[in-house]
Formats: sequence, C-alpha cells, structure tokens
Amino acid sequence: MDPLFWDALFLSFRVAALASGILLLGGTPLAWLLAFRRFPGKALLEAVFLLPLVLPPTVLGFYLLLFLGPEGPWARLVGVSWAFRFEGLVFASVLFSLPFALTAYREAFLSLDPNLLEVARTLGVPRHRILARVVLPLVWPGLLSGTLLAFAHILGEFGVVLMVGGSIPGKTQMVSIYLYDLVQALRFEEAARASLVLLGLSLFLLALVRALEGRWRAWRSTTG
Amino acid sequence: MARLEVHYRLTRPIPLEARFQVQGFTVLLGRSGAGKTSLLKALAGLLPAEGTPFAGLPPERRPVGYLPQDLALFPHMTAWENVAFPLRGKDRKARALALLGRVGLLGEAHKRPGELSGGQRQRVALARALARKPELLLLDEPTSALDPLTKHQVLAELVDLIRKEGLPTLAVSHDPELASLADWLVVLEGGRILQEGPPEEVLAAPRTASAARLLGYENLFPARVVEGGVEAEGVRLRLPLPPWARPGGRVYVGVRAAEVLVVREDLPPPPENVLEGLLESLYPQGLAYRGRFQGPLALTLLLPRHVQARLHLAPGRRIKVVLKPRYLHLMPGEAEEVP
Repeated sequence: MDPLFWDALFLSFRVAALASGILLLGGTPLAWLLAFRRFPGKALLEAVFLLPLVLPPTVLGFYLLLFLGPEGPWARLVGVSWAFRFEGLVFASVLFSLPFALTAYREAFLSLDPNLLEVARTLGVPRHRILARVVLPLVWPGLLSGTLLAFAHILGEFGVVLMVGGSIPGKTQMVSIYLYDLVQALRFEEAARASLVLLGLSLFLLALVRALEGRWRAWRSTTG
Repeated sequence: MARLEVHYRLTRPIPLEARFQVQGFTVLLGRSGAGKTSLLKALAGLLPAEGTPFAGLPPERRPVGYLPQDLALFPHMTAWENVAFPLRGKDRKARALALLGRVGLLGEAHKRPGELSGGQRQRVALARALARKPELLLLDEPTSALDPLTKHQVLAELVDLIRKEGLPTLAVSHDPELASLADWLVVLEGGRILQEGPPEEVLAAPRTASAARLLGYENLFPARVVEGGVEAEGVRLRLPLPPWARPGGRVYVGVRAAEVLVVREDLPPPPENVLEGLLESLYPQGLAYRGRFQGPLALTLLLPRHVQARLHLAPGRRIKVVLKPRYLHLMPGEAEEVP
C-alpha cells in the first residue's frame, strides 16, 4: 500500500486521539455545568456549542482559517499561525466534535440518579470521594462512548480539516483528504483499498461504543 | 424512649411550618404533596430551611440517617461496600459486615442491590445510615418499596430493628397502616402540624375530616348537629355530643369501615342507628371481607372473616347495619376547629 496512505492514517489518528483527549478533559466539566447548573445565557451558550452540527463544514472551516491564519487574532495571541499545521487541525477537530462529545457527556450525567448524590452527602462523605467512588464509576461508560464517537467523527471529517489544514502530504493531509486526492487522480484501486480499511475501522469503533452503552444500561437498570 | 423536638420552617418548594415531637418510632402522616418529603430533606440539610435541630449545618455535618423513598443504594457496589461507604480506616470491611449482621443480612453481603428484595434493600440502606452513627433517622415512605403481601411483616421487622437501635426515627407516609406501628403519631396538613400524640389517641379522634381520611376513616359525611346527635344526608344518628358541638352547627361524622357492624337477625335489634339497605358488593381482602352498603347512607364495610363465616353474606342481599354511638366520631366542619 502507498506509504502516503499510512502517513495520512497515522496523522488522522494522532489528531483524533489528541482532540478527543482534550474533549474528555475539557468537555466533562463543561457538560457537568450544562447538566446541573443554571446560569444566565445558558441557552445561548448551548446553541453556540451545538452550532457545528448545523453549520456547513466549509463555513466553520472558513471562519477557523481566518481566526487561526497569520493575520488572525489567534496568531497575534500565540505568536504563530496555526493554519496548515498539526495544531490547527487539532484545534478545529476539538471545535467541530464538541457537540457530539458534549451531548453524550451530558446525557451520561443526567442519567445519574440525583438521590444517589444527595444521600452520599448525608452520609458525611466529602465531595471528592463522592466524585471518585459514586459519580465516575457510574458515568465512565457514557463518557468513554462519547469520546469514542468524537474520535470516529474526527477520523472521517473532511470539509473543516481541508479548509484549515489544506492537503500537504505527510504534514496536514488527513486520511479523508488523501482519499479524495486519490479519486481526483483517478487512482480508484488504491482508493478502494483505503476505503475498505476506513470502513472496517469505523465499524469497529461503533461496535465498541454500542458495547459500552450496553454495559452502561445494565448498570443503570440495577438502580431501581 | 429517645425523643427530640423538631421545629422547622420552609418556604420552598412549599411553605410549611412544622413543630412536633419525635418519640421513638414516629410516623408523620400527610397527603401526597403535603410537603412530607421536603420536610425530611430539610432535616437532612438538602433543602434550605430554618429551625432546630441542626439548622445551618451542611448535609455532610448533620448526624442524620436519611433513607429516601427509592433508598438510593449505590448500584455498582455490593451490600457491604454500600454499608462501608461512609466508613474510613483499615477495618471498614469488618465494621460494615458487623452492621450487616445487626440487620440480619450477613449472608447477602456480597450481593448487589439489584439482586436483593425490597425489604433487604431497605435493611442495607438502614445499615449504611447506621454506619455514620446518626442521632436521628429519617425514612421517606418506607412502605412504598415493599411487596403488598409481605408489607406488614417486613415493616414490623424493620421497626423492631430500629427500636433495638434506640434511635429517634421520623418516618413520613400517607399509609395509615404504618401508623399502627408507631410510638408517636403526627398529622401534617395544609402546611402545619394538625395533631400529634400516641397513635391510639390520634387514630381514635382525628381533629378534622381530612385528618380522618388520612387516618383511615373511609366513611365520612358532612352533617348538622341536632338534639342528641347529628343529621347526615337526611339520616338522624344518635351519639353523645362533645361540648364544642352547638345545635345547628356544621360538622363531619366519621366511622371506620371495620366499625360498621352487621345486625344479626337472631338477636334482639340494637336500640338506635340501625340502617337497612342493599349489600352491593363483597370481596375478600387479606383475611377480611370488604363490602359496599347502599342504604340511607352509602357505607364501606370491613368484615373479619369469622363474622362472614357466621353470617354468610352475599352481594345483592338486603341487610341491616348499625352505627354504634361509641364508634361514631364527630369533627368540626372545615371552618371551625376543636378548641
């Protein structure tokens, strides 16, 4: 197989792994806030987080390009443009996968029985121990399945990463773009092989998510 | 007996001011929506409220054992892990097992809540609450999680256990059956305590019609005070009048289903308050028979089975019932109250 395919696949994996890691760490507290706290402007904030779901990827990519580009506010802040770089791809991936991850995380938190947390408090147990021994054991399958979903989604994203990263082989050419370039060059046989690998991967990830959800449900059903 | 004075004031989610005693196993009866759960949560520190005891303390620092209606056992932990949750130190497993032994569940220590029966789950929750060494135990609707067939026995065992621990306990419920197990009975109605006292006293003499309904008076009629008794729906009933009853005054008259007596034809008829009518329905309920009587007044009857064995009643028969004066209880109409 074409070594550029492996480069592209490896890059996609690195971007997806880093971005979903960031989503897990940052999205979890954010989802907790959205699930349990009330504050002014919450509805607007939720709408903003959900925006990437309905926005055409090229529109999101265009704004991100302006934001991360050499003349953009981000370059002025960190001193270097993130456009057409690995960092830019990760930044964009975090943003467009946020609605997937947040929705899954929030669902996991909302399914927690609030009685469990209240009773845990009346038992005189400090909050950090409630978090470690009640909340996390009950929500981790939900958190993990949300993160895997975001991971799979990032592997397959096309429009945003093309706008932000371009298609520099070996540097910013993600696997979905590599495939597109193959088809443009009429290299259908290689495209078919690459597609098959991606199809298998996606199927595997989804099966994993379903298995986790099954386990999560089995646990929740014993609450009653 | 362990006792405690409670005086709490809540504004949210419903306005409520409750001042009463907790003595031994105390049952607080109130309609659903009367604020029973809110009162318990306030006592546990989970809802904002003013009052004594424990005012101002966060839930973590209140010496209170709270058993919510669904018990809230941690589903991912075994019974002993649930009990050990509030405990610290190396011997926490040994202490948790000792507590499970105290509630008679040592054999179930390694089961998860999903594998336990309603009564067993209740006792695990009790052991977990005891682990934190509470000074007051709070139970929300302890009858709701139980199988109706074994409810009474399971409850009696639970109350026995709690009595052995010697902890003042407040159980809230709308189930009059629980009231019969109480050391002290409190009635909550319209955001305040309507009545409290030893259960025999409260059960025999509810102060208002709505309290009577809560306490299991199934037959309640608006009535008017007349000479030597009352008139309810055009029927004159003789009974000794309490001093507050003025002639012409509006009252309620109530009688328990079990205290509506069927007249035996082979004996001389009782002197007063005999009603004749149709036995509309009769069906077994536990070890008794529940019937509906349609006459000058519509009444619900509850016949012990030894009575039914002697009388052989059947639906559709014409029967006579007697409302004995000493079983008729008079309550002021909603506007007035017993002084």
